[in-house]
Amino acid sequence: MAAEDVYRQEFPVKGGDFAKAGTVACRIKELLKDLGLDAKTVRRAAIAAYEAEMNVIMYAWQGRMDLAVSTREVRITVDDQGPGIADVELAMTEGYSTATPEMRELGFGAGMGLPNIKRNSDVFHVDSQAGQGTRLEIIILTNGHKP
Amino acid sequence: MKEKNFHAIHITKDKCIGCVHCLGACPTKAIRVRDGKAQIIDELCIDCGECLRVCPYDAVHSHTTSFAALDHFDYKVAIPSTVLYGQFGIANLPTEILSALRRTGFNEVYDLSSICELNCAATEEYLNEHPRPRPFITSTCPVVVRLIQGRYPALCGQILPIEPPREIAAKILRTILPKALNIPPEKIGIIHLTPCPAKMVSINSPVTLNKSYLDGAISIRDIYPQILNALRKSEEDALMRHLFPETQFSGIGMGWSLSGGETRGLKSHRAVAVSGIRDTMRVLDQVEAGLLQDIDLLECTVCPDGCVGGPLEVENRFLAKSRILQLVAAAGERAVVDPKDVSRLYHKNFLSFDHPVSPVGSRPLDSDPAKAIRKAKRREKIFADLPRKDCGICGAPDCRTLADDVVRGLAHVDDCPFVKKEKR
Repeated sequence: MAAEDVYRQEFPVKGGDFAKAGTVACRIKELLKDLGLDAKTVRRAAIAAYEAEMNVIMYAWQGRMDLAVSTREVRITVDDQGPGIADVELAMTEGYSTATPEMRELGFGAGMGLPNIKRNSDVFHVDSQAGQGTRLEIIILTNGHKP
Repeated sequence: MKEKNFHAIHITKDKCIGCVHCLGACPTKAIRVRDGKAQIIDELCIDCGECLRVCPYDAVHSHTTSFAALDHFDYKVAIPSTVLYGQFGIANLPTEILSALRRTGFNEVYDLSSICELNCAATEEYLNEHPRPRPFITSTCPVVVRLIQGRYPALCGQILPIEPPREIAAKILRTILPKALNIPPEKIGIIHLTPCPAKMVSINSPVTLNKSYLDGAISIRDIYPQILNALRKSEEDALMRHLFPETQFSGIGMGWSLSGGETRGLKSHRAVAVSGIRDTMRVLDQVEAGLLQDIDLLECTVCPDGCVGGPLEVENRFLAKSRILQLVAAAGERAVVDPKDVSRLYHKNFLSFDHPVSPVGSRPLDSDPAKAIRKAKRREKIFADLPRKDCGICGAPDCRTLADDVVRGLAHVDDCPFVKKEKR
């Protein structure tokens, strides 16, 4: 695909910045609407982006979300510097969470984050180094058939 | 008067001086200043009335029903928003206010609090029968419905499909009055008294009904002086109303116009109430991102503190709210509606939408996805060169919107006074 047909934008995310929670996901959503993607695709991307953004805010020190949109797919790559995920398979289990009681009190950390991203994407890779950081790769096809 | 793209908000050109107050206040960025006058972009306006509130020159006009328009009805009925009860002095009981309203030229007036209670009971029944999706969103505020249609299309299916009290009340009256009075239906005018212009839109181009059951909506601000006058002239009447009150007001429905009032009567469901346009949009963003799924019902009203903060009121909303809270406290938990009646109407689909809410007016940068991507890139480049002062001098509300207008071919980057200066 020719480079000019891909829209790219990067968004920094600061760990612990709960006040700004959701702003990147919101920007991504508005952008996808402007690009004319259908409501279902936009919503799947919005949910996945929100969960990914929250993961960085809740657990990492800092991170970056890279958005790349072509006519075929929405790709969101999330890189963070943080504690990493010790057991990725376990973290993908619904209900599993390492959130602190304080986070849970705020309504976060239900252990649905990663499984929710997986459910709303067509391709989902998690790559993590304990003690260093996590990289998520999320792809949502614009003609995707998932609910 | 019935049009597809009906709006209740208009700019009076003679009064508009082309300042920037309304530009910044508009939550959907629907206003531009062109040739020194504000213009509203039809497809973006949701009739919230924010511009009406901020215009210092009275140049934003809201189109509601006039008294003269009622002349061709033989029998005139008013069903005022319960907001009306908070507009007068503390000594004026709701029965007196209704009685005074009747004397301004209506054959009959009906209190809405009982229908509000009915709506709440029907909502409870609907939530019991429909465990998913969550949260459902109430449809009482017509602006919220339009906001969802335009900006949150994925949430259309989450609007709870029970008509708001004003429409239910009008539907009931339209069903029973012609027979009871022996007057042809078209000769009976059923009028809402409204604290906001948006109700006029929901009457003229209803989203969920084939046709509204209401014939119009008179602004509370317009009718206020006449009610006040009637109240002043009627001390004997007041005494009678005190001693022989006619209407049974519902304690559950009385606070309907305050934020949280719609959901206060729910017995077994978790509800959240949001008010004000910015906060409503913030919460709808969260719902679209998959949050709030542990909430059963989300009540959104775009006016601050609920309908009591409507732009067409007279009393300041804090006093009105305090007055209504007193009435709520006095009425207590008094229920006036038989749950069996509600259940029967509910199961007959008497209270339901005619059709679901469907999305409208998505506005992609281009209908061709590849071109839209190129335009989005160009938009970012243009935006990077703009001063980000969001001054509005170009005619757009902020720099980001100017960049958007430029790639859509609706504006020129030279419209920005700062960009020009730097080039010279």
